[in-house]
Amino acid sequence: MRSAVTRSGLQARLLADAAVIAAIAAWWLASRNLPAFVLPSPWATAQALLRFFTEPKLMIDVAATGLRVVLSVVAATALGIALAMLAYFLPVTRDIVRKRVLPFLNAMPSLGWAILAVIWFGVSDAAVVFAQTAILVPFCFINVSQGIDEIDTELVEMARSFTRQRWLAFRTVLIPAVAPYVVAAARLAYGVSWKIALIAELFGSERGLGYAMYQAQTVADPATVIAICLIIVLVFVLGDLLVLRPLYHWASPQDRDKPFPGI
Amino acid sequence: MRALSLNTRRKLAAHLFVIALLAVWTVAALRLPGYVLPAPLTVLERVGDFFISVKLASHAAASIFHVAAALVLAFAIGTALALAGRYLPITRVLIGRLSAFLNSFSSVGWALLAILWFGLNDIAVIFVIGIILLPIYMINMQAALDQLDSELLEMTASFTRSWPRAFTLVVLPALYPFMLATTRIAFGIAWKVALTAELFGGNSGFGFLVNLARQDIDTSRIFAVIALMIVISFLADHLLFAPLERHLTRHYADA
Repeated sequence: MRSAVTRSGLQARLLADAAVIAAIAAWWLASRNLPAFVLPSPWATAQALLRFFTEPKLMIDVAATGLRVVLSVVAATALGIALAMLAYFLPVTRDIVRKRVLPFLNAMPSLGWAILAVIWFGVSDAAVVFAQTAILVPFCFINVSQGIDEIDTELVEMARSFTRQRWLAFRTVLIPAVAPYVVAAARLAYGVSWKIALIAELFGSERGLGYAMYQAQTVADPATVIAICLIIVLVFVLGDLLVLRPLYHWASPQDRDKPFPGI
Repeated sequence: MRALSLNTRRKLAAHLFVIALLAVWTVAALRLPGYVLPAPLTVLERVGDFFISVKLASHAAASIFHVAAALVLAFAIGTALALAGRYLPITRVLIGRLSAFLNSFSSVGWALLAILWFGLNDIAVIFVIGIILLPIYMINMQAALDQLDSELLEMTASFTRSWPRAFTLVVLPALYPFMLATTRIAFGIAWKVALTAELFGGNSGFGFLVNLARQDIDTSRIFAVIALMIVISFLADHLLFAPLERHLTRHYADA
């Protein structure tokens, strides 16, 4: 039985690997019959990808986008926590936060923020960070307030019966209970942020991957467009593996064996 | 005077907040130039244009058409792939990889590639929205299939040998609530993505209008389009998805 399971698992893995190779082969064949401005060959795309590791100008683009992503994730997580805490500690404001601010932020198109940011802040780093933060806040708020909703009220009561020091109870009960959700919120925001980074940069920037991608598109260079998409996936996975995953395990030691919540 | 209950005070606070916000907006608009911040009344007037001008209304209809077409396509393909992953176990790893790849690909990347592949037209827009929605359907329907009650499936297997019968009578109805919940999420995303897709790859729709307004620095038109989109998505959620979800939950889920 067990060997049958592993064998079918192996077959599934083989098929997946074969499909990747077949897809690249099909891509290569198709690119031979199509003009390069429609579909570049895998080889040309790999070369475009390689330029990001050799040309300083492109490396600066990656760093600029990365820095904006980090800044906006930090800002959005802080704002999300602040909004969730406001609704928790000042119950009167709950409807303001949950029935007015949140639905509005949720329904606002990301592109709307990007265009408004350029009108308000001009073409600048501030415009990009503002737009990204505004887009990310609802994701962070929802996650953090879910964590707050799931706080065991009996645990809070017990903490209160053990100490009168509110700060001590806050630090030893509330923070550990909410921390995993905060990290999950930051991780979700980080994933979304990389996907929307380019939208904000297309209008409001003179540096960064979005700008580089738009330049590539205007000169009909799809190899660079695809290469930038791949770079984004690469940097995203690196940040996730090296920073956010360890952070999550640190924040929730009791869930160490559980799989990491997906996006 | 009787003290108001917390619930009433919450509602009151929410209404006061909106009024205060509108007041701040009005005052700020008086002091700032119109292209930076148009007044609320100006925006309302520009929203009204959409109910008068046939041309503007047709752009709104184009956006709705793009979103609806992309939703149908992503739903059909995503659900089919998720089902394939379950009933053909050999494809499971492959489909997991495909959804992870699609999920991490930049939406602007799709938009720019779509222009190169399809040109500026409806197909490019529907392609972009659809391919962004596809991983959402794949991942959610996979999760739904994984959550099916195994005892229910065993019971079904003991009642009938007919696979199509078990599928249409047990599996499919169990999936309905998940399909609707996913479509609700997907609609919210599609509606927002549509603006991006139309701005770069469209020759009609709200995104196209925003692009024209951006070039003319017609900020009140941009505000009007955004306001209209928020209202439409709110109406769709409250008048279409919420009642449907209540109905389906009553019928098919006994939680």
